Amino acid sequence: MTGARLHPFTLLAIAGALPALAWILTAPAGAAATAAVALVLTLTPGAKLTPGASPGSKGIGISQGWRQRLVVLRTAVLTAAPFWLFLLLLHDVPTTLAIGLRITTMVASFVWLVAALEPARLVEAMVAAGWRASVAYLLAATLSAVPVLKARAQRIVEAQRCRGLSPRGGVAARLRALRALALPLVLSALHEVDERALALETRGLAPGIHRTPLAPPPDPAVERAARWVLLLACLVALTRRFM
Amino acid sequence: MSIRLLALIPVAAAISLALSAVVDAVALPLFLDTTGTILATALAGPGVGIATGVVTSAVNTLRNPTFWPFVVVQMIVALYAWVAARAGLFRSFRTAVPAGLGLGVIASVTSTPISYLVFGCTTTGGIALTTALGRALGLPPLGACFFGSFVSDFGDKAVTFALVTSVLHALPRRTAARFPWALRAIGAA
Repeated sequence: MTGARLHPFTLLAIAGALPALAWILTAPAGAAATAAVALVLTLTPGAKLTPGASPGSKGIGISQGWRQRLVVLRTAVLTAAPFWLFLLLLHDVPTTLAIGLRITTMVASFVWLVAALEPARLVEAMVAAGWRASVAYLLAATLSAVPVLKARAQRIVEAQRCRGLSPRGGVAARLRALRALALPLVLSALHEVDERALALETRGLAPGIHRTPLAPPPDPAVERAARWVLLLACLVALTRRFM
Repeated sequence: MSIRLLALIPVAAAISLALSAVVDAVALPLFLDTTGTILATALAGPGVGIATGVVTSAVNTLRNPTFWPFVVVQMIVALYAWVAARAGLFRSFRTAVPAGLGLGVIASVTSTPISYLVFGCTTTGGIALTTALGRALGLPPLGACFFGSFVSDFGDKAVTFALVTSVLHALPRRTAARFPWALRAIGAA
């Protein structure tokens, strides 16, 4: 079964359990095992990042699927690499190994999660599991609002530069520029709140309401059992570590 | 929770995350990643502020997984901002900036154990380098870690409080009055 086909809750459980085990199990052996599993996960079919997330691998003779998996692996490695550098700067080698492997597990697990998890499927799964529609809305609305506001921030920066605003100079000048750039962005975003509230009311998203999902992702019994096994494994590891 | 306050949470969380584009433009060593949490708290109280902080951390974690353990800091920021809003500390820069400096101390005290135990003080390049500077100055590991967090948080939170104060005062009174805490936060009610 590929990452993209797993139930969103199963993906979350795996991505949560691996870092938890990395910190619970004795380092460096335990953390090395979890880091290896997490890095292998990034190479599983179904995981792919959006084109802008990382520069693509363009090797000749590599299939599209493998190219996407290698992009995911490379993103995980490149995200974790600076931590190793800073750890070597601040700590001795055994500590660097222990913390570095744990951070690598965490980074690789989450990079894999982002590549394999579709936000829309997660929202459907949350609604199907009985979560309030408002909770699902918070996650989905934030994910969609961030790129919109970032694009607007970029337009404001360009517009203010056209009007002669210089974001250079001393700290005071930069702080003044920051205010001139941030204020229009924040105020315009706040003015959208009423529009959004009206749109939500129109769609019947009253607080406390439960909605019917249109296409809930299948959640087989084996996956539900696997999630419990992961939780149990973390608890057993925790108990063994401290007893 | 009313629909308007529900709609405010994703907007405030997105503000926190989108401000990085503005910070990049002025090239200042700031994060401003708690702006939305503080703003939402000053407008709508601690529940909305904490929810904004949690959503901000959750979405930020999808970009960089090292943010998730610091969700506790976002919650403490929301609670502190609520106390500041109740006391009307957003009424002017004179009151907001010292309050922001106070938050900088509290945020660094809170984030230091997380940064030290989970990441070995390597959460960002800037913090790692200031921690290394602290070590070079002879500070013990935890002290150097606090030094790194303090240097990055102290100014950041003061600027964030000042920015939120600017926003609250720039909001038309009629708009501000639609949020339960806005007028009290600026000392107008």
